[in-house]
Amino acid sequence: MNLDSMRRYSTDEIVDAVVIGTGAGGAPLMARLAAAGSRVVALEAGPNFDPQAFAFDETLADEIYWTDERLSGGSTPEAFGGNNSGTGVGGSTLHWGAFCPRADQRDLMIRTETGEGTDWPVNYDELLPFYERVEAFIGVSGPQSYLWDASRRYPLAPVPRNASAQIMAEACAGMGIRATDAPAAVVSRDFPQAGGAVRSACINCGYCHQGCRNGAKTSMDVTYLPLAVAHGAEIRPEARAHGFERDREGRITAVIYRQGGVDHKQRCAQVFLCAGSVETARLLLHTGLANGSGQVGRNYMGHVATQVWGTFDAETRPNKGYPSSLITEDMIRPKGADFAGGYLVQSLGVAPLTFANSVARGRKLWGKALGDYLANYNHVAGIGINGETLPCDANRLTLSDEADALGMGKAAIDFGYGPNETRLNAHATKLMVDLWTQAGARDIWVLDRVAHTIGTCRMGHDGDHAVVDAFGKSFEVPNLWVCDGSTFPSSLAANPALTIMALSLRSAEKVLSGA
Amino acid sequence: MILNLPTAAATAPPTLFCLHFLGGSAREWAPTAGRLGADVVCVPIDLPGFGDAADVTGYDVAAMADHVAAKVRAARPGRWLIAGHSMGAKVALALARRAEDGEAGLGGLSGLVLLAGSPPSPEPMEEERRAAMIAWIGADAGTRQSEAEAFVASNVGAPLPADRAEAAIADVLRAEPAAWRAWLAGGSREDWCERVGVLRTPALILAGGEDGDLGPEAQTALMAPHFGSARLVTLDGAGHLLPIERPDAVADLIRGHVVAPHTEEPEAPKIDAAYRDLIASERVNGRLRAALHERAAPDDPAYRPQALDAVELAILRAVVARVLPQAAGIDLAARIDARLAGGAGDGWRFSALPPDASAYRAALRSLDAAAQAGGHRFVALDGAAQDDLLEAIEAKTLSRGPVGGFDPEQLAFWFEDLRSDVVRTWLAHPAALAWIGYSGIGAGGDGSRPVGFKKVGLGEREGWEPVAQGGDAR
Repeated sequence: MNLDSMRRYSTDEIVDAVVIGTGAGGAPLMARLAAAGSRVVALEAGPNFDPQAFAFDETLADEIYWTDERLSGGSTPEAFGGNNSGTGVGGSTLHWGAFCPRADQRDLMIRTETGEGTDWPVNYDELLPFYERVEAFIGVSGPQSYLWDASRRYPLAPVPRNASAQIMAEACAGMGIRATDAPAAVVSRDFPQAGGAVRSACINCGYCHQGCRNGAKTSMDVTYLPLAVAHGAEIRPEARAHGFERDREGRITAVIYRQGGVDHKQRCAQVFLCAGSVETARLLLHTGLANGSGQVGRNYMGHVATQVWGTFDAETRPNKGYPSSLITEDMIRPKGADFAGGYLVQSLGVAPLTFANSVARGRKLWGKALGDYLANYNHVAGIGINGETLPCDANRLTLSDEADALGMGKAAIDFGYGPNETRLNAHATKLMVDLWTQAGARDIWVLDRVAHTIGTCRMGHDGDHAVVDAFGKSFEVPNLWVCDGSTFPSSLAANPALTIMALSLRSAEKVLSGA
Repeated sequence: MILNLPTAAATAPPTLFCLHFLGGSAREWAPTAGRLGADVVCVPIDLPGFGDAADVTGYDVAAMADHVAAKVRAARPGRWLIAGHSMGAKVALALARRAEDGEAGLGGLSGLVLLAGSPPSPEPMEEERRAAMIAWIGADAGTRQSEAEAFVASNVGAPLPADRAEAAIADVLRAEPAAWRAWLAGGSREDWCERVGVLRTPALILAGGEDGDLGPEAQTALMAPHFGSARLVTLDGAGHLLPIERPDAVADLIRGHVVAPHTEEPEAPKIDAAYRDLIASERVNGRLRAALHERAAPDDPAYRPQALDAVELAILRAVVARVLPQAAGIDLAARIDARLAGGAGDGWRFSALPPDASAYRAALRSLDAAAQAGGHRFVALDGAAQDDLLEAIEAKTLSRGPVGGFDPEQLAFWFEDLRSDVVRTWLAHPAALAWIGYSGIGAGGDGSRPVGFKKVGLGEREGWEPVAQGGDAR
């Protein structure tokens, strides 16, 4: 994004807020605080990209993924990098899929409902006004009446259904499952962005995960960040926070960051740590901050994100169109389920390297069979889920003995499904295979897969069991806030980004109310 | 490959410097030199500690290469080649690396001949035999005589004529024992694999069909990987002393190599013409077009690996050929090596594995060790036997490799990473994208409003969209 004329602050000036990370957690609160007159400086580890340079190519898109190495262990090791971790001004929203359902209110109260997992210290009614603000501001396309929430309508008309969406719609109809156009943070028409430029309508290129070339997809660099900069916020790209200075009361007085190979210190009144579930916890563990509860790094979660693929006689051309243009929430609480929580189902488009990677790793094909199968690329279509993962003590992020260039231990993440995830996954897999069989697919196969990065700094009611309160404020460090997917006490079935943005605005309002 | 072709002033025959085996001397080359006649000027050289240089010291590989370099400089050849027999081959390769790196006075190197060569890697040899050879060279005269006779006899495929056998035995006996021991205990164990890397100079590799440790399989696995252009010829029935056993064949093969060396030309995989037109069209943005052209550039046959060594790269090429058979000939292994060396990972690794480059090295060495436990090196196995080993990796039944090697669990994780690296590298290539009929590159050019797609539904194709080529020509 264009930062040429942004306001700049001296590192000696005690700014009102330093925001670490410019993704879905950091950007909305930056815009809100700056609009209220706060002096805000954001430290972004990654570079500042010009979206016009995003080139419709998966290999070239490596630049927008967080590729500092992480160590994946546990019984279902999770892939990072392009699977779920971004870098650059805009953070992971540069590559996210823009699939943005709201949380189901039952998911926020899952322990009360089922005796499993953990209740959130925030309920749906408290989140609702923030969901609506975010959806209106970023321009979410979707149904004008939402099947699972009569009160909800999306600001923009849905994006076109691609082949997998059409296949899934027919299969769902055949099995008595309700499905509709997905809520997508992609503008289906030219959209005047408050605080920024007009965003052109989606061109159905299918490259959401490789960086949106024309700004149709919501990423922070075309939505909240221009607004923040218009209100006087400063964004420092390629500035990697790695330490804090504190006073005797334990308040953070400055954030230490490396930029251009040199350490700098930005003095500040408040700090908002919004680096994502992995890097946020890593920074806190590295600095030893805010961990009196011993909870930092614990209860790491990735969504159960199993996919089912099949081959169709007609061309599907899975690279074309908004990839996940159909949704069903009928399985948020499936009848007769033997597990707590549920999952949502989406149709899937896919770019070829991502697909080939899935085939090579997940279907384990090699030899002649591998090439023969990839030759069918223009005839495959997929369907996938995003399913509840409950917090679990064994799923944990720690620091490895291996250090990075800054001397910070690499993140080591152990993750594995518990009985609830295993049962949910079995249910979903059967459903998806049934749907694809119903749709007439041949050569159906299942890709077990984990998505998103959630947990590690859970929010809660007290500092003995949680890292931050219901507004993201540290129980221990009086001027530290955490705002990203790390604060989620459980995963929710919904994809996390919309809820992160809503929580971000909610934290900002709390700050401005003088908390 | 740019050869040093003769100019008008240099129609003189090329010079062939000839290096002997352990216990041999310059005179082992006399029969070959005689047969080459005026076509090639042979300059056999006694290495330090052997033949007429028995009193010259400096027995490690680098010192022997210095010794030869001095002879080359003194001869001031125009166009020259170097032949190395067994021990002499390792010295020849150390010198060839220096010549290719542009060392003064060594210009004009145009060919290599390796005969039953000791490879740049530590030479495979049974420890018992090594110890026995070190012992008897310093024994009493009677033992030395009988052991030298046995040594020559055990290194030939069929008995030598008496005069040649006597000369060979005499050479062994006049070798300086310290030089003999130094090679067995030191020089043969030196690891020059990474230093030699991959040489651009065309090589002729000769192997004796009845040779033991340095026979055709060792030449395939440990010698051939060091050349961008190499021709390997096995002399059936011959043992280890090729210039002495088969001077006619050796001379003929050298003559052919001097006249018309086998050279691998860089070849770009074919890209379907319609797809090339699409790449050139306004539908493709400039940054992508440049990247596709770069990926379409031919691979260098003499690609010098940076993360792996040459022997490991050869194993990787063999594995990759099984993981993704392709007619296009894209050197996926070299491209993977380049990425490993660049350090640009994909953001994670299995915590059971070391960093990517180390994992590749350990896994390839483990795989080769498992192959050898079954009797053959991985690169020497046929495809079905290679597949058996890869299936054993998947099934986690491949036994633990050598010290520092991977356990079955680690091998399985690595093989998953490998499959991913192979397909992602392959499918980034425009020839592969053309083969699957991928239209995504045409999503839009450089204007402010990229065109994108209008038809995105099931069975909908825009007129310009490419279709899959099908068949096995990938």
